Amino acid sequence: MNDLIVAALLLVPLLGGLAAWLLHGRAVKLVAYASMFLVCSVGLGLAVAVFRTGRVVAFGGVISIDDLGAYLLILTVLVAATALAASPRYISHELTAGKLRPRDEGHYYALFLWFVGTLVAVPLVDNLGLLWVAIEATTVVSALLVGINRSPDAIEAAWKYLILGTIGVGFALLATLLAYASSVRVLGESSDALNWTTLMTIAPQLNPNLLRLSFVFALAGYGTKMGLAPFHTWLPDAHSQAPSPISALLSGVSLIAAFYALVRFHLVAAAGLGSAFSSNLLIFFGLLSIAVALPFLIRQEDVKRLLAYSSVEHMGVLALGLGFGGPLALLGVVAHMGFHALTKATLFISAGELVQQYGSRRLSAIRGTMTASPVAGGALGSGIVLLGGLPPSGLFVTEFAIIVGGVTRGYGLAAALAALLLALCFVALAVHGSRIVWGHSGPVDAARALDWSMALRLGLPLAAVAVLGLWTPDALASTFESVRSVLAVIGA
Amino acid sequence: MNIGAAFTPADAARLLDTCAAGVVLIGVLIAGTRSMGRAIWLVAVQAVLLSAAVVGVGVATGSTHLVLGGLLTLASRGIAVPLILGRILRASPVRVERNPYLGPRVSLVVAIAIVFAAAIAVDSATLGGSLDGPINASINAARALPASVAEVLTGLLIAMTRRKGLSIVVGLLIFENGLALTAFSLTYGMPFVVELGATFDLLLVLVAVGVYARRMLTVFGTLSTDPLRNLRG
Repeated sequence: MNDLIVAALLLVPLLGGLAAWLLHGRAVKLVAYASMFLVCSVGLGLAVAVFRTGRVVAFGGVISIDDLGAYLLILTVLVAATALAASPRYISHELTAGKLRPRDEGHYYALFLWFVGTLVAVPLVDNLGLLWVAIEATTVVSALLVGINRSPDAIEAAWKYLILGTIGVGFALLATLLAYASSVRVLGESSDALNWTTLMTIAPQLNPNLLRLSFVFALAGYGTKMGLAPFHTWLPDAHSQAPSPISALLSGVSLIAAFYALVRFHLVAAAGLGSAFSSNLLIFFGLLSIAVALPFLIRQEDVKRLLAYSSVEHMGVLALGLGFGGPLALLGVVAHMGFHALTKATLFISAGELVQQYGSRRLSAIRGTMTASPVAGGALGSGIVLLGGLPPSGLFVTEFAIIVGGVTRGYGLAAALAALLLALCFVALAVHGSRIVWGHSGPVDAARALDWSMALRLGLPLAAVAVLGLWTPDALASTFESVRSVLAVIGA
Repeated sequence: MNIGAAFTPADAARLLDTCAAGVVLIGVLIAGTRSMGRAIWLVAVQAVLLSAAVVGVGVATGSTHLVLGGLLTLASRGIAVPLILGRILRASPVRVERNPYLGPRVSLVVAIAIVFAAAIAVDSATLGGSLDGPINASINAARALPASVAEVLTGLLIAMTRRKGLSIVVGLLIFENGLALTAFSLTYGMPFVVELGATFDLLLVLVAVGVYARRMLTVFGTLSTDPLRNLRG
């Protein structure tokens, strides 16, 4: 039964994408919606089953989903559904504007579904080698989406993403090889010698030198895919040039999918070496990412690049929290993954809408949205402020938890530095956000009227992030708690 | 198996050494060439040598997993990948690397230095003692580790110092060949499912490279990455 469910989850996007590639006209959207509906319901059902009854195993242990995987699965399907819902409006505008060719529509939905399929595969597999295969596949498929409109800038962004992503993730393969090498001496050359669950149980027996080297390469490799500085250079280009619904998927999900892989390596390394080695590296690169993002947030001219650099900042926060460890910071990390995914996806979709309405991506042009485009503009302005971490934003609460957690774990200096940098990031984002909402409006394409379904789609996630910071229902709190228990380092 | 009897582990070890040396030599040659066509067929020969070493060790040790893995390497990296790259090259008006950031002579010297550095580094690293080759193996595949490290680095060198998209991809492929050789020398390759998946991914990367190479040719009229420096800040 489990085999069947997992097979459905992986095959539906694959076959749906194939159908979308071959079909024309309205049928394409129909296929995309139907596939997405199936993926969503199966994915959510599977995740709920994991939270209710514990780990779900399928295909003789190749597939093994724990609470952390189930959580990533939920975020993946939710953001994917949001992104798909925003796609028809975005695509039809690009088609009218002549930026996409008619047959690109089918290709867009096909690649969209394949991208979702590769993202969904990430939390399912237990084998670190297959995890690498899934993450590398997300890079290639999304690189094809980034440059779908054939503009010079988009081609540049896609090319950089493809090459740097492949080389970066190549280092993650090296990390996987070293993890395998460190275990074959204990387990022999069995194929479950790369299974994360197996590695965790034998971690103390693994060769420490190989394990240390493995984590360093995993940090460089998955850190590239996750956008940790100094490996982030492709990220602002790719996330800003991609079609906006794809930017939502890239920033909302594919970054935390790489973070998820890094978490797996961190846990093996911490169980084998003690947590100090990998934690200190994570804290360093986390702080570096926040610090590197800050000047680009302050001086930013392009609305989508602003959001992309904020993703670098937030991935830094996640790495920092994971490095701090301890119950409070880890709970913060878990909630932060979710809040960031929802906020950032919504922001990219509203930014995409505004870029099309204003016919410009420049922050100096997109102003006074309160009068010109209340729904998308209000969502973008308020979302950016939530993103910066204005209380009661959920992101404020999670960042606060991570910093306090860091102090209680004895990382006072790093936590203080992080607090200062995050405060500065907040100021930068708040200034941009207020200008977007209240500044003087430029010319706007008035033909695009208010759309209630869009208001709902943009408003709900942002309202959720604002409310959940203050009040977390018991069910959600216990979910966060069970995910956190996966992140807890053995013996710490 | 009959062949297994004729082809002893000692033969396989000699084959492995020869192939590893060949792989390294080809890496150096590619670093020193301007012609993209020559680089493409050299990188194909590198993959063929790689697969020969893997198949050889597989036959000598009677491991079907290795033989299959080696044949997979041959079919993908040795045949399919160069065919795709050749197609892209034929569409390109310029087929030499005109002014790379690092000229071919300097690259050649650096590549040779990399080979020696890799050999010394692998020897002196604490890894040396811990890598007595995988258990149950009569051939110590770890002897190819210095060659694999050298290729990973040479691939990075070429990918970072060339201007033409196709040359960068050749660097990427050398890097990938280095990774495959690392996998082989550390652990006799990955579990077969993983190798299958990794090969599939590599072919996908090449398809995407083909798509964007064609778009670069239509939009910029060149495979050079020089027009690709508009995005800043």
